[in-house]
Amino acid sequence: MDKKNETGSRGENVGIGEYKTGITKISSIGLGSCVAFILYDRKLKTGGLVHVMLPDSNGKSERPGKFADTAVPLLVLEMEKRGSSRRSLSAYLVGGASMFQQFKGNLDIGKRNVCALREHLIELRIPIESEDIGGTSGRSVNFFPEDGGKITVRRADGKCYEL
Amino acid sequence: MDLNEQQLDMLKEMGNIGASHAATSLSQMLMCEIEMTVPEVSVIDISQVSEYFGEEISAMVVFEIQGEIQPAGYIVCHVPRMSAIRLTNTMLGSTDEDREFNEMDESAITEIGNIMISHFLDATAELLGVVMLPSPPMVTIDMALAAFENILAQVTSGDINEFILFSTELKSVNNDIKSTIIMLPEEQTLVQILRLLNNLINPEI
Repeated sequence: MDKKNETGSRGENVGIGEYKTGITKISSIGLGSCVAFILYDRKLKTGGLVHVMLPDSNGKSERPGKFADTAVPLLVLEMEKRGSSRRSLSAYLVGGASMFQQFKGNLDIGKRNVCALREHLIELRIPIESEDIGGTSGRSVNFFPEDGGKITVRRADGKCYEL
Repeated sequence: MDLNEQQLDMLKEMGNIGASHAATSLSQMLMCEIEMTVPEVSVIDISQVSEYFGEEISAMVVFEIQGEIQPAGYIVCHVPRMSAIRLTNTMLGSTDEDREFNEMDESAITEIGNIMISHFLDATAELLGVVMLPSPPMVTIDMALAAFENILAQVTSGDINEFILFSTELKSVNNDIKSTIIMLPEEQTLVQILRLLNNLINPEI
């Protein structure tokens, strides 16, 4: 097998298609059209993050974290393994920008990623608590589950804010 | 996707020819000497992209490769923000570096990217004996990784989790300007390029 640890991420930063769960800080940098899909358990103060790249796996789930349709059940299952109950989970979405004005229509992967994630969250009845999506600017996100699920976003233009 | 030593060498040589044409065009535009690194060709897993690109604000001028092979992939001219500002300054004979990146910079960098990439593709296409043309440029000034992700999403759909990153750095030491040319071929393009290169080295009798 590869170098992945049990949480499916090889390092500090959760790379494309990777995921990480736990109580300590989880980060993902340079999100463009990709979306950081975050689940936070209010009761246990734990959380998880998947770095989603594309909306639909079309049944190819060799790397479930890469696609919205497989990433949602993947992260829910990982949270359940950590003792979470689905009812205490809230979802957050960060990213899904359209970096190039010229990639239009079907090529606006950012928008399609966000739509797909929302759709699959509705199916599992997990509410989206907050989101920072769209626009034309890249983002980096830090998530602190043990700190009340605090999420900070830094945008490419230098603006930092809490979600 | 595995490449053997010989294939890597062939690709590097192709990159060398393309990049030296791009370097000549840049050198003519800036009227200064341009240094060029030996092209690097690496097979990278999508989860590891952040080791190659980061949060540094850069100008990314992106072109789709058009021509005989479809879809062929993308070619990108990556210029870090300060280098991009110095590039415009050099062209306009200005020295003010302590300023925001403005529209003038954006059009200058788009045009420079356009000329460099056209020369790069012209030279490689001629070597391969195929038609390869750049699409109109698409440009963004943002975190390099965020912009790159967006392009990557176009070439690594489905089961493809690895991509070939093909990069050469062009530098003007005098003006402290750095730029990188990155080629991101679709898998089928790469197969065809390798076949064409192989024919060049071992011509059939």
